[in-house]
Amino acid sequence: MNIATPKRKVAIICSHGGLDEVYPSLILGNAARQSGIEAFVFFTFWGLDAITESKVDHLHMNLAGNASSNMPTVLAGLPGMESLAASMMKKQMTELDLPSVREMLQILDESGAELYACELAMKMFKRKREDLVAPVKDVITAGDFYDLAEGAQIIFT
Amino acid sequence: MDTHSNEALLARIDSLSAQVAYLVERQRKQEELFAEMTPILREVMATATTRLDDLEKKGYFAFGRELVQVGDRIVTGFTPDDVRQLGDAIVGILETVRAVTQPEVLAVASEASEVLQNSDKVEPMGLLGMVRATKNDDVQKGMAVMMDVMRHVGRAAEIVAKRRERSPEDEKRARLAKVIGPRKRAVLGTERPAPRAQVAAAAPPVRPGAGDLGPPAGCAVPAKPAPVAAVIDGVAFTADGHLADATVWSEDLALRIAAAQGVVMAEAQWTVVRFARADFEQTGVSPNIRRITQGTQLATKDLYALFPKAPARTVAKIAGIPKPAGCI
Repeated sequence: MNIATPKRKVAIICSHGGLDEVYPSLILGNAARQSGIEAFVFFTFWGLDAITESKVDHLHMNLAGNASSNMPTVLAGLPGMESLAASMMKKQMTELDLPSVREMLQILDESGAELYACELAMKMFKRKREDLVAPVKDVITAGDFYDLAEGAQIIFT
Repeated sequence: MDTHSNEALLARIDSLSAQVAYLVERQRKQEELFAEMTPILREVMATATTRLDDLEKKGYFAFGRELVQVGDRIVTGFTPDDVRQLGDAIVGILETVRAVTQPEVLAVASEASEVLQNSDKVEPMGLLGMVRATKNDDVQKGMAVMMDVMRHVGRAAEIVAKRRERSPEDEKRARLAKVIGPRKRAVLGTERPAPRAQVAAAAPPVRPGAGDLGPPAGCAVPAKPAPVAAVIDGVAFTADGHLADATVWSEDLALRIAAAQGVVMAEAQWTVVRFARADFEQTGVSPNIRRITQGTQLATKDLYALFPKAPARTVAKIAGIPKPAGCI
């Protein structure tokens, strides 16, 4: 009667800090947990913004150079465009009942996914452990990452 | 002794008669006065009546009544504080009146009003016309004057705004407007759109109960009927392990599916399963984890503790409903 799924594991690398770049990582991680797949997310470079206490609620999205934004790059680079796009995107997400990034991190933590910050990026951006949000489990190196990711499918976003 | 008492008696009678005489005289004089006054009084009354009648006809009384009413309104509309403030401002008011009524100012005003009187004769003007008109020296001067006025008004408006912040003047205006009636309210500038009701904006978000969750989020769509992949003990299952037909579900069957999933059904698990089933029957969509947490007031963590592996899917399997769609 039991139709078992083979034991799976995913390692997701989140390396960008845009609203549209962070969500896919978080949603993939959450969907993995919902499907009974072990998951952990590794935040590096600009991805650190998504787990930094002071920045997590103010992530923007970049329109300039985005071919899908339907907006000429010249216009997309104007001041305020980023905030506008971010607020529009947030509005649409609210309509879909999508949780905020902060909430998503909380849900990921509660659902058993593990969140890690990249040590090198932390040093580069001069951030301390205290600057990160509570759900982050640890600060690890790339080597640790590979140890953790043994047997996992790696997704780079 | 006897003569002595007689003398005393006589003297008393004398004084009494003198008093009586005085009284009689006074009575007579009063009657005379009355007789003399009556025609005069009558005359006076007649004149007064005609006079009052006259006044009434001219509308003095109606005017007076109105005046009293106006007074009433002013008294109810203004507090003693207002009157005191008015007293403080009276010098300023008089100065303003004097400045406005200077002959030069009046000349300008009369000139301007003449233009307004003939306003039906002017030609319509577009943007280009305006630009062309600015070539005129007089127009330029007028513009300069207007600009200066605007500058002053702007500065004054700032001061007024600052003052209004601390003074409850708006409240007083509203009170006056209430007394005067809605017709004048627009003139007073107290006619404002009603403030939008602040509905629960400040209230903290409350997790809705199972009954009022609203429709499922746009991401969750009703699952397509999946083909039967296996029939176990006479019950049809789809390829992903869910009941092919939700209506054949029973609590007994739920227990058997739970056992196969490695879940021990306690009261907490039953609560979640029953919610999922009820929600599915109501909306036609299997609830995802987020919806279950919202509907059962359980934290995500609790849900993963109750159904360690893929909570929403496991719950859906036990509840005999299709696999939940959606990403959250």
